[in-house]
Amino acid sequence: MAAQEKNSAASAVGSLGKAIGSFFRDFGTAVVKGDAFVKLSLLWMGAGYAKRKQYVKAVLMTILEIAIIAFTVKFAMQYVPKIGSLGTVKMEKVFNMKTMKSEFNNYDNSFTILLFSLFSFVVWLAAAVVWFKNIINAYVLQKMEEEGQHINTFREDLKSLVEEKFHITLLTLPVLGVVIFTLIPILLLIFVAFTNYDQQHMPPTELFSWVGLNNFISLFGGGGLTTTFGYAFVRVLGWTLVWAFFATFTTYIGGILLSLLLNSKKTRWPKMWRTLFIVTIAVPQFVSLLLVRNFFSNGGIVNTICNTIGLTGFLRSIGLVSTSYIPFLSAPGWAHVMIILINIWIGVPYQMLIATGVLMNLPSDQLESARVDGATKFQIFRKITMPYLLFVTGPALITDFVKNINNFNVIYLLTQDVYTTTNQAMANSQAKEVDLLVTWLFRLTQDYYNYKMASAIGIIVFIICAVFTLVAFNRMIKGDKEGTYQ
Amino acid sequence: MKKMKDSRTSSIVLHNGLIAVLALFWLIPIIWLVCTSFSAYSGMNTSTFFPKEWSIVNYQKLFHPDSVSQFPQWFLNTFIIACFTCVISTMFVLMVAYATSMMRFKMRKPLMNMAVILNLFPGMLAMIAVYFTLKSFNLTNSYVGLIMVYSASSGLGYLIAKGFFDTVPRALCEAARIDGCSEARIFFQIVLPMSRPIVVYTVISSFLVPWMDFVYAKMILNAGISSKYTVAIGLYKMLDKSLINSYFTQFCAGGVLVSIPISILFMIMQKFYVEGITGGAVKG
Repeated sequence: MAAQEKNSAASAVGSLGKAIGSFFRDFGTAVVKGDAFVKLSLLWMGAGYAKRKQYVKAVLMTILEIAIIAFTVKFAMQYVPKIGSLGTVKMEKVFNMKTMKSEFNNYDNSFTILLFSLFSFVVWLAAAVVWFKNIINAYVLQKMEEEGQHINTFREDLKSLVEEKFHITLLTLPVLGVVIFTLIPILLLIFVAFTNYDQQHMPPTELFSWVGLNNFISLFGGGGLTTTFGYAFVRVLGWTLVWAFFATFTTYIGGILLSLLLNSKKTRWPKMWRTLFIVTIAVPQFVSLLLVRNFFSNGGIVNTICNTIGLTGFLRSIGLVSTSYIPFLSAPGWAHVMIILINIWIGVPYQMLIATGVLMNLPSDQLESARVDGATKFQIFRKITMPYLLFVTGPALITDFVKNINNFNVIYLLTQDVYTTTNQAMANSQAKEVDLLVTWLFRLTQDYYNYKMASAIGIIVFIICAVFTLVAFNRMIKGDKEGTYQ
Repeated sequence: MKKMKDSRTSSIVLHNGLIAVLALFWLIPIIWLVCTSFSAYSGMNTSTFFPKEWSIVNYQKLFHPDSVSQFPQWFLNTFIIACFTCVISTMFVLMVAYATSMMRFKMRKPLMNMAVILNLFPGMLAMIAVYFTLKSFNLTNSYVGLIMVYSASSGLGYLIAKGFFDTVPRALCEAARIDGCSEARIFFQIVLPMSRPIVVYTVISSFLVPWMDFVYAKMILNAGISSKYTVAIGLYKMLDKSLINSYFTQFCAGGVLVSIPISILFMIMQKFYVEGITGGAVKG
C-alpha cells in the first residue's frame, strides 16, 4: 500500500506540499527562537551573517536586498500598478513647443505592462523564497555558534559549490533557462487568453484590455458575430483527436511489425535494410515532406501516372473524384487519408528504431528456457516478446499521442499553400478542415495577429495535453527503475 | 529432407523479398529527390519519374547565389547557429544529468517530477508567448534569439544521459571522494571520460536541432531578408507559388546537399545511442 502511494502523481504533489510545509515550519521556528540578529534579518538580510563574521556574505545579501528594492521602485512600479487596466494612455503625436517637433506622448504599451508585470511577479516570488531561506540560514548559523561548531569562511563557502553543493552550480543555469523560456511564456499565454489582444488592438499604437471569459465563450460557440469560431473549433478539435489516434496507432503497430520483420533470423543483411529505412527519417522533414507534397500535387507526377494507367478515369466513373486530377492533398477526405498515410511513411522507421532497441534488450534467459521447454515460435512471440514490448513501450504510446496532437510539421508542411478550404464558415475563422489546433493557432498568430483566440486555443490544447499527461505521468513514475542498476 | 530445405530457402527468399519491396516503397521519394536534383529542367518534372535530360546545372546554380537562392549563406548561418546551440545544449544536458544522477539533495525528486511534467507539454505551445517575449526584447530576426530558443530549455532532455550516468559504478566515485577529490573533478575527470558514447550522442543530437527545425526559424526570422535565413526557411521559400517553376530542381539539389551531412550525423548518432544503452547495461 505504501509502495503504491509512493508511485502516483498525487503523492508527488503531496511530497512537494510536505516540502513546502516543512520550509515554513523551519521559518517559523527561526523567527520565534532566533536571537536579535536573526530577527533583524527580517529587515536587513545581511544581519545574521554579519554577526557570525561572514562579512562577504553579509555585504552580498545587502547588495541583493538593495537591488530588489531598486528593481521594485525603478522598474516594477512602472508596470504593476497598471495591470488592472493594462494602460489608459493611447499613443498620440503631440507637438512639442520646445523642440518644435511633433513627438509621441508618454503612452502606455499594454503588452509591455503585461509582460513586465509578470516578470516582476516572478522576481518577487524568487526574492521571497530567498528572504525566507535567509532567515532559516541565519538561525542555523546561530545554532552552530551556540554549539561551538566551525562556521565556514567565504572561501570555504565558494569551495562548497564544487563539492557537496556542486548540484547548485550545475543546475542554476539550466533551471533558469527553463523558467524563462518555458514557464514564463506559458503564464503569459494564459494571461493573454483573457484579453482582447488582436489586430485591432495591437500595441504600441493601440491598447488592449481584460475581457474576462469572452474568448472562451466565442470559442465554444457563444456570442453573435464570432459564432464561426465555435463551428470551426469543434471540427478542428475532432480532426485533431482522430489524427492523433490514427497517427499514433498506425505507426506504433507498423513500427513493431517492421522491427520484427527485420530482426527475424531469416533476414539477410539486417544492418543494410535498417540503414535504408533510417535514411527516410534522417533526411530533414522540411525536405522530405515538402517533396512528398509536390509528389502528390494536383499536377504532380503521381497524378500523371494515375491518369496514364486509368485510375483517375476509374475513380471519376464511380464518383469519388469530380476533377480531372486526384486531389490528394487539396480536398477534404482525400487529404485526411493521405496525411495519415504519409505519416506512416515518416513515422514507422522511428518506431522501428525504438522497438528494435527494446527487442535487443529482451531477456534472453526467458527465451532460452521457453525454447528448452519446447514452446513454438508463435507461443514465444505471444507469451514473451509481445507482452514485453507492450510493457516497455506502452506508456510511450500516451506520450506519442500527446506529441501527435501537436504534430505541427507534418500537417503544416504538407498542406500550407496547397490546401484551401471551400467551407466559408471555416474560412471566416481562418481554419481549414485539415488543421490541427496547433497549426490553426500558428496561422492565427503569424498571418492574422489574432493573439487572443490563439492563446485561448493554446490553453485548450494545454488542458487536453494535461489530462493525457497525468495518465502518462502516473505510469512513468511507476516504471521508474532508477536504482535497479546502482 | 531436401524438400524441407527447399521450403526453408523459399521462405527466406520470400521474407527478404518482402523487406526489399517495403524498402523500395520507402525509398521512392528519396530516389525521386536525387533524380530530380540532376534534371536539366528548372521546374517540377510532372510527366516522367526520371528526368528527361540529366545535368548538374542545379548544383552549379546553388553556388552562384541570386536574390532568391543564397544557399552557401544559409548553410553558413545554420552552421553558426548549430554550433552555439550544440555547445550550450550539451553543457546543460550533461550538467542536469550529472546532478540528478550522481548527487543527492532535497529538491532532487521534486525537480525531476517537474521536468517529467514539463517535458510532456510540447514546446510548440509556449511558442507564441516565447515570440512575444523575444519581440519585446528586440530579439526576433536575430540569431541570438534563435539560439536561445533552441538551447535554453534543453536541460529538460536530460533523461537519456542520466540513464547512462546511473550505470557508472558508484564505488568508483566513492573511492575518489574518499581520496579527497572534489565533486567537480569527479564530473570532469572520472565520469565524463567514461561516458564517451552518451557525450557524443548528446553533442550530435543538439547539433542537429537547428538543421531539422522549421517552425521556430520560420517564426523568429520573419523579416523576409533572404541572406539571414536558415537552410530550412530558404528552401521552403523556394517552393513559393510564384517561384516553384523556376526553383523546384534547385530545391531538390539543396535538399540533397543538406541531407547528406545530416543523414551521416544521424546514423552516427544512432550508433552511439545503441552503444550508450547496451554498453551501459554491460557495465552495470
